[in-house]
Amino acid sequence: MEKFGTNYLEERNLVKRWPQPIPAIVSLVFTLIIFYGTWWIFQDPRGLMRMYTPFVGYMYTRWWLIVLIWMVYLFNYWPFKRSWLEKTNPITKGVVLTAISFVLLYILIKGFFEGIVGNLGIAYFNPGQLTKLPGITEFFAIEYSALACLMFAALASWLSPAWIVAFEEAPWQDMQQPAKGFSILIVTFFLSTVIYFLTMHSHMGILYYPWQYFTSIAPPYWEKFADTVSGNFHVSWIMCCTVTVWIVETIWARYPFNLIKKNWLRRVVAFFGIIAIAFAMHFFLYFAQELTWGAAIRGTRRAFAPDWRWLHVGEMAVFFLVPAMFITFYCGNWPKKFSIPVNALIRTVLTILGGILLYIFYYKTSHLFLGTQKGFSHPQQFPMIPTIWLINIWLVHHWFMDNWPGWKMVPKTADEIARDHEAEHALIEDVKWSPALGWGLGAGTVAGIAIYFITIELLPVFYNAIDIIK
Amino acid sequence: MSENNKIKRRDFLKGAAMGVMGGTLATMGVYSYSPWRKARFPKVVRKMVDIGACKNIKVTNISETSWFDNANLMGDIKGAGGLLVNQYDYNWPPFGDGSGLGKGSYEKGIAKIKHLLPDKLEEAWEITEKLSVHPENAGGYACLIELEELNGQKHKYLLDSGWSYKWTDECFKREGIDKMLENREIEALFISHEHFDHFWGLPVTMKYDPTITLYVPDSFYPEGLQYIKDSGHKGKLVKVKPGLNPVVPGFASFVFAIPIICRVYGEQSMYFNIKDKGLVSVTGCCHQSIIQFAETAYREIKYENDNLHGVYGGLHISPFEDWDPKFDDLVLSLGKYGFEKIGCNHCTGILCAKKFIAAGYPVVRGSARFRSKDTAYLGNGDIITFGV
Repeated sequence: MEKFGTNYLEERNLVKRWPQPIPAIVSLVFTLIIFYGTWWIFQDPRGLMRMYTPFVGYMYTRWWLIVLIWMVYLFNYWPFKRSWLEKTNPITKGVVLTAISFVLLYILIKGFFEGIVGNLGIAYFNPGQLTKLPGITEFFAIEYSALACLMFAALASWLSPAWIVAFEEAPWQDMQQPAKGFSILIVTFFLSTVIYFLTMHSHMGILYYPWQYFTSIAPPYWEKFADTVSGNFHVSWIMCCTVTVWIVETIWARYPFNLIKKNWLRRVVAFFGIIAIAFAMHFFLYFAQELTWGAAIRGTRRAFAPDWRWLHVGEMAVFFLVPAMFITFYCGNWPKKFSIPVNALIRTVLTILGGILLYIFYYKTSHLFLGTQKGFSHPQQFPMIPTIWLINIWLVHHWFMDNWPGWKMVPKTADEIARDHEAEHALIEDVKWSPALGWGLGAGTVAGIAIYFITIELLPVFYNAIDIIK
Repeated sequence: MSENNKIKRRDFLKGAAMGVMGGTLATMGVYSYSPWRKARFPKVVRKMVDIGACKNIKVTNISETSWFDNANLMGDIKGAGGLLVNQYDYNWPPFGDGSGLGKGSYEKGIAKIKHLLPDKLEEAWEITEKLSVHPENAGGYACLIELEELNGQKHKYLLDSGWSYKWTDECFKREGIDKMLENREIEALFISHEHFDHFWGLPVTMKYDPTITLYVPDSFYPEGLQYIKDSGHKGKLVKVKPGLNPVVPGFASFVFAIPIICRVYGEQSMYFNIKDKGLVSVTGCCHQSIIQFAETAYREIKYENDNLHGVYGGLHISPFEDWDPKFDDLVLSLGKYGFEKIGCNHCTGILCAKKFIAAGYPVVRGSARFRSKDTAYLGNGDIITFGV
C-alpha cells in the first residue's frame, strides 16, 4: 500500500553537512535571501507586485500558510509517492511543491472565496459585488473582501493544524490518503465556517452603512467585554491559538498533553488546553500594552485604541512563533538532554527572549528595508505579514526541501524509527508522579506566580529603559 | 551524591519546570484581564500647563475638498501599490515627471517646475498637468484662523496650504487670503502634516508672502524640507518637536509623533482656550483621533471650566467614505466628551458626519458650496466661530 508522505517528517533523518551552528546559520541566511527576494517581488510597497496594500498581501500570506499545512499535515504530500519524496532533489521538490501550493492558493481565493462564496452567497467576499454598492471605491472593495478572506484564514490556520496536533487526526488516523486529508479538511473547514459566523461575521456586518441588522448581530455581543465592536478581539485570541498550536507542536513536542495516556482524554485536553493557554496569552499581551502605554481609550485611534491593542496581541504572539520555529527546524529542538518539562521550559525561555529581541529589531528597523511605515500602530503596519511570510518560507524549506543545503535527507531505517519511538516513550515514562516531583510542582507553581508578578512590575521599567522608536 | 538523591533532584526539577510554566500561565489567564489589573495602570498625572486664554476664534474654511473623486484617488493608490507607498512616488501633481503611476520621485518631479516657483504658478501647473497622474483630481485643505486676545489684539494664521496650485489659488482669491498675505496680515502658516493635500500647495502661500513664518512637525522627510526651500520660502522655519508649542495667549499647537499613510510621520494640531467656554481643537486631519487629542489636552493643559467646547477640521475617520468597526467605537464614545460645537469636514467623511448627526451630536451643518458635496458638514467658504 502506497503511504505517500504519511509520517515522512518523523521518518526522515536530516543529517547535518557541517557541525552546528554552521547549518543553522547557512539556513538562516539562505531563507532570509529567499524571504527578501520574494518580499520584493510580491509584497513590498516599492517592489514589483506591491500586494502589501495591506490586506491583499496579508490574505495571500495567511492562506499560503494554510495551504502548506493542508498539503503536508492533512494530505501528507498526497498525491506524491514516498519514493518521489525520498529520492527527488530538494530544490526540485521545493519548486514543484511550492508551485502547486501557489496554484491551490489561487484556486482557493479566486475560485472558492471570490467566485463561489462571493458571487453566490455572501457579497462581501467578492470585490466585484462590493463595487456595485454606492460609495465603495474599488480599492476598499478589494481590501474589504480580502479582510473577510483573511479573517476566515485566521480560523483555518488554527483549526487545521490543531486537528493534527491536538486530536492526532482522530477518528481518521488509520485512513488512507486522500480520504483522510479530505475528511480532516472538511471538518476543520466546517468548524472554521461556524466559528467565523460567531466571531467575524458581525465585524463585517457593521463594516457597511447602515449596520446590517438583518444579517448580523449589531452591535456585536463582545462589545462590553472587549471594549470595542471590532472583530480584532477575536483575531487576537485566534492568533494566540494558532501560535500555541505551533508552540505545542514544536518546542514543547506536544508536552504537557503527551503525558496523558488515555487517547480520548489526551486529545480533548490538548484541544481545549491549547485554547486555554491561548486565552492566557491573549489577556496577558493586552495587559502588557496597558502596563507600558497606559489604559486603552475607546474611540481613539492607533496605539490607544482597544481594537488595535487586540490586533497587536496577535502580532506580538507571532513574534514569539518565529524563534520557536527556528529552534525546532534549525537547532534540532535544542536542548534535548534534560527531561521533557525542563527541555520545554528552557526552549520557552529562549523563545521568549528571541521573540522580544525580534520585536525590538522589527520596530526599530523594518521601515528601512521592508517598505513599511515607522511606528507601532500605523493602520497599514502589519508585522504579521512579514513574520508569517518568513514562517511560510521556513515551512517550504523544512517540509519541501529537507533543510537543504545545511542538511541532507536520509530515510530512517525501520530500526531507527523503532528506536525513536522507544526513546520518545521512555521520555514520557520518565515524567511520573513522585513526592519529589510533587514538591517541585508546588515550588514551581509558586515561582511561576512570582515570575508573573515580577514581570508585570518590571515590564514598564524595561519598556521605558529602551527607546524602540525614535 | 547518591543515586536516590539524584533521582529526587531530577524529579524535583521536572516538577518545578512544570510548575513554573503552569503557575505562570494560570496567573496570566486569571489576573491579566481581571478588574484587579487596573490598579497597576500608569497613573494619569495632569500637567495643567497654562497656555492662557483668548476671547474668541473664527475659522474660515478656505478648502476642505482635498480631492474631488474618491475612486480616482484610491485607484491611484491601489495602482501604485497601496497606502504605504511614498507619496512622492505616486507621480501626482506637482511632482509628475511623465513616467507614470508609482514611478515618480521628488527629485524628478520638482526638476520640471522648480524654476517657476513661486511666482509663475499657472505655468508650473500647466506643465505638471501634462506630466502627472489625475491632476484634475487635486484640491487641497486650508483654513484661516482669526484669533482675538482678551485685550482685543487680533491675529491671523493659516492652517495648511492646499494641494493643487490652481485650486488653492482660486480658493485663496475667493476668501481674500491672497490680499491678506500680500499685506502681511497673516502671521504664520502652520502645516499640520506632510500629506500632499495639506502641504503640496505651499508655493501658493509663498507666491503672496514668501517671508511668512512656517511651523512644520520636526518629522518632515528630506523631500518635504527641500520642497519648502524650492517653493521659495525666505521666512523663519520652525520645526516643532512632539509636544506642546505655545504660540500666543490662548493658542498652542501640539505635535503628535504618529505614523500616517503614504509614508508620512507626525501631525501638528491646534488648541485654543476660549475664555468662559473651554477648549477648541482645530485640526488638519487629526490622524491621532479627536479622542486622543481631547485626552492629550486633559493630560497636558489647563483650560476654561475643564470643558471641551468645540472642534473644527478633518477628523480622519472615513476620508475615502470607507468604514471600519473601530470608527463606530469613536462614534459611540465621542458623546461622553461633551463637545458643544462640532465643525467637522474633509477627512471626517460625509458618512461619519451623518453618523454623528444620527447620534445626536451638535454638528454644525454646511452650505455645500464651491464643490463641497454635502450639507452634513462645513463646506468650502463656510465659517464657524467659537466664543463670539
